[in-house]
Amino acid sequence: MKLFKYSFLSLVLCLAIVSCKKDEPIPTTTVTNDGPTPYVIQIPKFFPTILNIPADNPMTVEGIELGRYLFYDGRLTGKVDTLMSCATCHHIDKSFENGIGYGYGVTGIQTPHVMLPMINLVFNSSGYFWNGKISASNPNEHNRTLEDVVYLGLTAPHELHSDSVSCKNAIQNIPMYPPMFKKAFGSDVVTFKNIAKAIAQFVRTLISADSKFDRYLRGEAQLNASELKGYMIFNTEKGDCFHCHGTVLFTTNQFYNNATDSVFNDPRDRFAITGDPKDHGAYKATTLRNIELTGPYMRDGRFATLDQVINHYSEGLVWSPYVHPLMKKINDGGIQLTPTEKADLKAFLHTLMDSTFITNPAFKNPF
Amino acid sequence: MKNLSIISLFFIGLLFASCDKETPLPDPQPQPSNTGSIVFKFAHNVNGLALVKDSMMYTNTAGNKYEINEIKYFISDVILHNANGTYYSISNTDKHYVDNDIASTLTWNVGDNIPEGSYDSITFTFGITMAKNISNMFVNAPEIYMAWPEPLGGGYHYLMMNGKWEKAVDTINNFNFHIGIGQTYDGLGNIIGFVDNAFKVKLPASAFSISTSQTRVIQIVMNIESWFNSPIVWDFNIQGENIMQSQSAMSDACKNGADAFSIGYIN
Ligand code: HEC
Ligand code: HEC
Repeated sequence: MKLFKYSFLSLVLCLAIVSCKKDEPIPTTTVTNDGPTPYVIQIPKFFPTILNIPADNPMTVEGIELGRYLFYDGRLTGKVDTLMSCATCHHIDKSFENGIGYGYGVTGIQTPHVMLPMINLVFNSSGYFWNGKISASNPNEHNRTLEDVVYLGLTAPHELHSDSVSCKNAIQNIPMYPPMFKKAFGSDVVTFKNIAKAIAQFVRTLISADSKFDRYLRGEAQLNASELKGYMIFNTEKGDCFHCHGTVLFTTNQFYNNATDSVFNDPRDRFAITGDPKDHGAYKATTLRNIELTGPYMRDGRFATLDQVINHYSEGLVWSPYVHPLMKKINDGGIQLTPTEKADLKAFLHTLMDSTFITNPAFKNPF
Repeated sequence: MKNLSIISLFFIGLLFASCDKETPLPDPQPQPSNTGSIVFKFAHNVNGLALVKDSMMYTNTAGNKYEINEIKYFISDVILHNANGTYYSISNTDKHYVDNDIASTLTWNVGDNIPEGSYDSITFTFGITMAKNISNMFVNAPEIYMAWPEPLGGGYHYLMMNGKWEKAVDTINNFNFHIGIGQTYDGLGNIIGFVDNAFKVKLPASAFSISTSQTRVIQIVMNIESWFNSPIVWDFNIQGENIMQSQSAMSDACKNGADAFSIGYIN
């Protein structure tokens, strides 16, 4: 039936071309029976409708499937002795983080910052990485998209430390892949560009919108008294988390100095990107979805537990001229929560846990 | 099979539509002929001089030294009033978001269907009136960042003006001059009601005329200091630094804000 539909489509297209452009030769290839099947992202209620998908990499069922294999394939680097993949660091059961903080590359080099999860990234148009370096506004055209992140992950010494040629050759020589590339991109010649495109497509499908809190919003679950109190703390002046970690994404994807330090010498903070002095010590206010899985916390993993994070906001704030104005009560050290209020806030953060996401068969290792 | 025939019909239809150049489809919306267009520009100053952000260089009437880091707000329901009592309300987009850090928001092209004629004045709502201030009506950046928490009345901040002020020598505090739906509280601190704080602004000296096919560029200027000087002398020690849960402070802020806007130019 599907085949029939496509051949029919091709026929119509041919007809259209024939009838309208009589002076041009009839093209020999039009839409073929093997053309990839468009994939439409189902946008959860109230989620952004602007998706960060480059025009030259439309989502397709075949592209996503290929991307999933490549993401999990230890042979990707082309170095037989390493067998390291994206999934070596980005674990599904940790919301595609590693749950231990820093990552360690092929040669044991530590990543400059702790890991970031891969969750709802298709809705982030303001910049990937802790400092938002990868964004459409980066003057370097190779630092703009998730496709670029794939390249960086593959080549960085603290990550897969390979190169695009070894990677491409390795994949070309694994018999299962050329036909998959053919299906996804129309050619069984493997290119690095298409490897990056496929993995990026897979990453864009990693959407989380089924936490207890989501179900509560949909009227399918009830929050208990402590969780509800925590919700109030989060969303009122009391805790005032929402200004930076608000909206259904639980992040604005914007960058703030949240009063962790008084000395700023990290060459990879937001200031390194914008050159704006206000951005010293500023980082992305990461999503709080699945936050219980993605400790240790902050870009340097300085807090092992959510309790420590809450203590920071409650009484541990450090004044500096760069602290973002949305950090309240900076001269009192923080928002001053009682032990019960802290417990309530933590209980609310736990309602952002989405176990459907971390067990989704479509996201799992296909091997 | 049924799907297929619908698809075929569609494509066959397309085929004809795209090839039959002799009979173009009629224009769906004939444009009225006697209209002009308006472009609003937004600017921010302090007592007549362009705002300099991120620098502790201003002192308000109460004597608080302050600096401004961010200004974001909504205006809505812009109305052009005629001398004869009739009016034209700008309806193609009834809400506009202004963000001092996002250049594209500082220009609002309201379109080209402004009936020609002379207008006496321009009014707008600062913020969004409660009936229209609906949670989740914006799902994309940057408007979505203005979300006002559901427990506090929902909808969106009308204004987020963030900055710092000198509480004492060597003590710099942050302030979040935020306005949105207000709350009323019972004696125990429970929220028992909500208050619509959106207010009407009548721009002084905003008469203009527009002729057919003309584009008028109208600059609307916000004087930051106006939020702090009259009728209420705003003192961060008294009204507070973070005011989204203080209806009395937000109400003072709104009284002060009524004259914060003026016309920079009409070109
Ligand atoms: C050695 C561990 C490691 C490996 C292997 C690795 N990553 Fe990462 N990844 C990280 C770390 C650490 C970060 C955070 C980088 C930063 O911002 O400093 C990150 C960030 C990311 C982000 C950005 C997330 C965000 O919210 O901005 C994406 C996307 C990503 N990785 C995808 C991949 C892909 C695809 C691969 C395989 C090609 C890969 N990673 C391999 C450690 C790793
Ligand atoms: C002014 C903006 C701002 C406010 C307000 C704010 N945060 Fe954050 N938050 C951030 C930033 C920025 C980071 C990352 C900072 C870093 O890595 O050093 C962060 C990090 C975190 C993290 C760790 C995330 C991770 O993946 O490591 C948690 C948990 C967190 N915040 C919870 C909260 C809670 C709870 C509140 C309210 C009490 C709150 N935040 C208020 C900006 C803010």
